[in-house]
Amino acid sequence: MNRLTQAQEDILLDYLDGNIAGTEKARLEDELRVNALLRSRLDELRSVHTIFQHTTLEQPTRDFTDRVMQKLDTAPAPTPSRWSIRNAIFLLIGVLTAIGAASLLIASGVFDGTTSISLDDSALPQTIIKQDLPALTLHGKLIVNIIIMLNIIVGWILLDRAILRPYFQRRMQA
Amino acid sequence: MIFDPDLPLIDRILAGEQNIYADLINRHKQYAYTIAFKILQNRPEAEEAAQDAFIKAYQNLAGFNRQARFSTWLYRIVFNTSISYKRKNNKVFQSIDNTVIAYNHEGEVSLEKTDKTRYLNQAMTKLSEADRTALTLFYLDEFSLEEIAEITGMQANTVKVRIHRARQRLADELKILLNHEALTL
Repeated sequence: MNRLTQAQEDILLDYLDGNIAGTEKARLEDELRVNALLRSRLDELRSVHTIFQHTTLEQPTRDFTDRVMQKLDTAPAPTPSRWSIRNAIFLLIGVLTAIGAASLLIASGVFDGTTSISLDDSALPQTIIKQDLPALTLHGKLIVNIIIMLNIIVGWILLDRAILRPYFQRRMQA
Repeated sequence: MIFDPDLPLIDRILAGEQNIYADLINRHKQYAYTIAFKILQNRPEAEEAAQDAFIKAYQNLAGFNRQARFSTWLYRIVFNTSISYKRKNNKVFQSIDNTVIAYNHEGEVSLEKTDKTRYLNQAMTKLSEADRTALTLFYLDEFSLEEIAEITGMQANTVKVRIHRARQRLADELKILLNHEALTL
């Protein structure tokens, strides 16, 4: 065998990165003592690793900051998000009111009935549609329940994203 | 949640103190320029791309959602801007002036090591921009693998694999280049 497996290469890189320890490290070091191919590959990878360890940050020109700041004068200023916590609270109250009103209407039986729409009564020319079309049945209660569910999801998202997270982030910064 | 020291500055900038942005630039310009340079391999272009990225970041500062560190968000903009520059000015020729030679703190660099560095930089040009940036960020030791993924647009679970493969490829290329050099001596 004159080529290492991918798993062996990965272990060598983990070894160089200091990501293996204990018995695994001891086992690899034992194998390195007897396996010349493994040793040679470790040297090759170590060459790359050593050069990269001396990676330093590149230096931009001295007037970098001044030049950006000059360009900013012509750029439009950033405007803070209009989504303040107060706005989000108002919206959440609106969502909760809608949920409450819909629940009350359901409880009072307003949506208990069903409505059927017969497609045969539509204004479509009989020359185009030869067969009888089915009637569509709409269950008011089901539709309103779906709307309530969607409102609950929107309410949770609002509470999390627009109220709780910004609130705790501000508290952490304070 | 990690406290991001840039957030108080961002709040002041959003409140209208534009001059505070200079502090943010000073904090991040070296990383931003390094990322741009690793992608573009050309100093004037990297400088322009990094400056452009800072302006884009300023204009979109209100949209920064604070879920990640500001630096991660900014370097993602630098990465994308540099990739756009690269596509716009897709040059094959690389001037010797633009060849990266890593600065060595110790001052005493052996000829062999300088050669290896030169060949490694040559081999680096064969890697994708994302792999090159990921490797640089990995060795600068400032970012987690998740943050490197966010900056380079890779999948978080593949970053480590990509960094491993990139180093293997560089080791192979380095071996070929050094063997070739030895044969031509």
